[in-house]
Amino acid sequence: MRILIMEDDKQVAAFMCRGLREAGHVSDAAHDGEDGLEMARDGQYDVLVVDRMMPRRDGLSVIETLRAEGMATPILILSALGEVDDRVDGLKSGADDYLVKPYAFAELLARVEVLARRRDPGAVQTQLTVGDLEMDLLARTVKRGGEDVLLQPREFRLLEFLMRHAGQVVTRTMLLEKVWDYHFDPQTNVIDVHISRLRSKIDKPFGSTMLHTVRGAGYRLQA
Amino acid sequence: MPSAAPDGRFILPSFTRTTAFRLTLLSAALFAFSSFVILALVYAATITAGVRRADNAIAQESVTIEARFRAEGVAAANRYIVQRSVAGGEFLYLLNQPSGRRLSGNISNLPATQPDAQGRVRFTYERAPLGGQSTAEPSRAARGLITTLEGGYTLFVGLDVEDEARFVTYILNAVLIASGLAVAMGIVSGAVVSRRFSRRLDDINAAAREVMAGRLQTRAPRNFSGDELDDLASNFNDMLDRVERLMQRMRSAGDSIAHDLRLPLTRMRGRLEAALVEAGDIADREAALSQAISDADELLKTFNAVLSLSRLQTGERRRAFETLDPAEIIADVAELYEPLCEETGHDFAMDAAPGLAILGDRELVAQAIANIVDNAIKYTPEGGAIMLRLRSASDGAVEISVTDTGPGIPPDERPRVLERFVRLEASRNRPGVGLGLSLVQAIAEVHGAELTLDDGPGGVDGSGPGLRIALRFPRHRE
Repeated sequence: MRILIMEDDKQVAAFMCRGLREAGHVSDAAHDGEDGLEMARDGQYDVLVVDRMMPRRDGLSVIETLRAEGMATPILILSALGEVDDRVDGLKSGADDYLVKPYAFAELLARVEVLARRRDPGAVQTQLTVGDLEMDLLARTVKRGGEDVLLQPREFRLLEFLMRHAGQVVTRTMLLEKVWDYHFDPQTNVIDVHISRLRSKIDKPFGSTMLHTVRGAGYRLQA
Repeated sequence: MPSAAPDGRFILPSFTRTTAFRLTLLSAALFAFSSFVILALVYAATITAGVRRADNAIAQESVTIEARFRAEGVAAANRYIVQRSVAGGEFLYLLNQPSGRRLSGNISNLPATQPDAQGRVRFTYERAPLGGQSTAEPSRAARGLITTLEGGYTLFVGLDVEDEARFVTYILNAVLIASGLAVAMGIVSGAVVSRRFSRRLDDINAAAREVMAGRLQTRAPRNFSGDELDDLASNFNDMLDRVERLMQRMRSAGDSIAHDLRLPLTRMRGRLEAALVEAGDIADREAALSQAISDADELLKTFNAVLSLSRLQTGERRRAFETLDPAEIIADVAELYEPLCEETGHDFAMDAAPGLAILGDRELVAQAIANIVDNAIKYTPEGGAIMLRLRSASDGAVEISVTDTGPGIPPDERPRVLERFVRLEASRNRPGVGLGLSLVQAIAEVHGAELTLDDGPGGVDGSGPGLRIALRFPRHRE
């Protein structure tokens, strides 16, 4: 997919581009807000990664302008911690996701990929299917290979998120944010325990693994 | 005393530039002016009343004589005037023949001043020497009335008003002197008040300058009278205390960040170097690299924690606080940690009283509780118990507590645990602990909550007294 990176630090931008290329994406970099705005208008990008602090035009203003012009491309905003209410401001300006610097590249990559393959929010799904795993969102039931799987409410939400992003890497931070709505970092990896519980219900009894650990990044649900 | 400035202008003494002096002077001037106005009004009223009384008396006497003259003739009038003059009354009389010759009276001539249309006249006269007095008195103020009688006789009746005029002059002088005195006293008291006032302000200013010069321990002197200057000094000192605390925190933060980051960085560097040097197989190298990545992640975590702690400790409030149900928050945290406890072999229990409300930031409160629970899990040996509890304290506070059966923290170590970055010696080798409780403390401060550490119910397998950490939030009522 095509990704535009707006980041004033050229080295960081180059590093991001290289990382994205290695992951199989095409990326361009803009080093200030005005250039970024022009490139975003012209190029057909799947995702924009916007640094909040940029010369000539700051990231929030770029996002607001693009959204005002009707651009619907998913945007990930990057920001250094220490700015007041940064996450709220970033999302209010029209960004779709938010990442605090410093971050791990795996986290950035996972979020960009999730954003790019975001489903059309207009289509309401009532059924999710990944391989032989089926989830009925109305009846709140889960079946694997036709057999009922009993899940706690939180496990259900966790699995729902994983199924909606099947085939993609989701990070622990993403799970904590989207499933638990926490934006802090617990000292221990509590998420791992929840995942292993979920595994014991959807994988173990069936002999084949669907919920994979991606080293150094997170998890991936795959048929 | 005024002194000459180099350019020749006079510079007023410094106290005249103080606000207190100017205010006192202004109020003295206002007082002087208003008393002057009041006394001037009294003065005017006194004069008017005196003049009217004199004029009335004169007119009455004049009418009496005129009536006699008309009824009994000039001789009767003459006789009356003579009688009254001899009796030594206060009136002045003169009755002239049509020819202008003096017929009778106690003055010799009509006043020289021109009478008005009604015949009234103001004049001065010299009293004829009386008895043995040889020297003439100075001229005296008087008012009079000239009436022309039938047959061309001229009647003059006058009244000495010298005493009243003098009285009025006394009042006038008194008014002027009093006003002058008021201004003078204003200047003096202004100087005194401003000296007193500015001496105390000077003390505060001196303290401020000391602090600016780097002597941060300096405090403004207080007299504990509770007046506004004392209040200023007290607030000033409180502000300095806070600044000093923040500076101390920052200073120790430098060292602590270095310490917290140096260890993992050194470890990571070593690993990378080893991976580079050792020509081992690909798998070894990969393992080293991924280990280095998780070291870096650990560093990032610490780094982020340091940053959020800084933000909290500088008192920056992230979002507007909202009404929260603490039961919901602790239920969420319990739900997050319960599987972990099961895995680590801890007995986890939760007891939450419903219907309580606090004012705060959901995220921060959850983070604080999560940190405490995290700590409890880390330090409580396997088989121990962890209890998360929400209740309404007897004093109305909303208390969230986490009790564990771990080794606990000795009472003398407790204050230190809450200081930023401090790790108890025994726990130095465990990662990520130092920030936990100081973050909780910072979150408590932001919420006006109190963080307390107590002994728990006793440790499992005799490892210690256990630990009970409580956060006491002020109860919120809408």
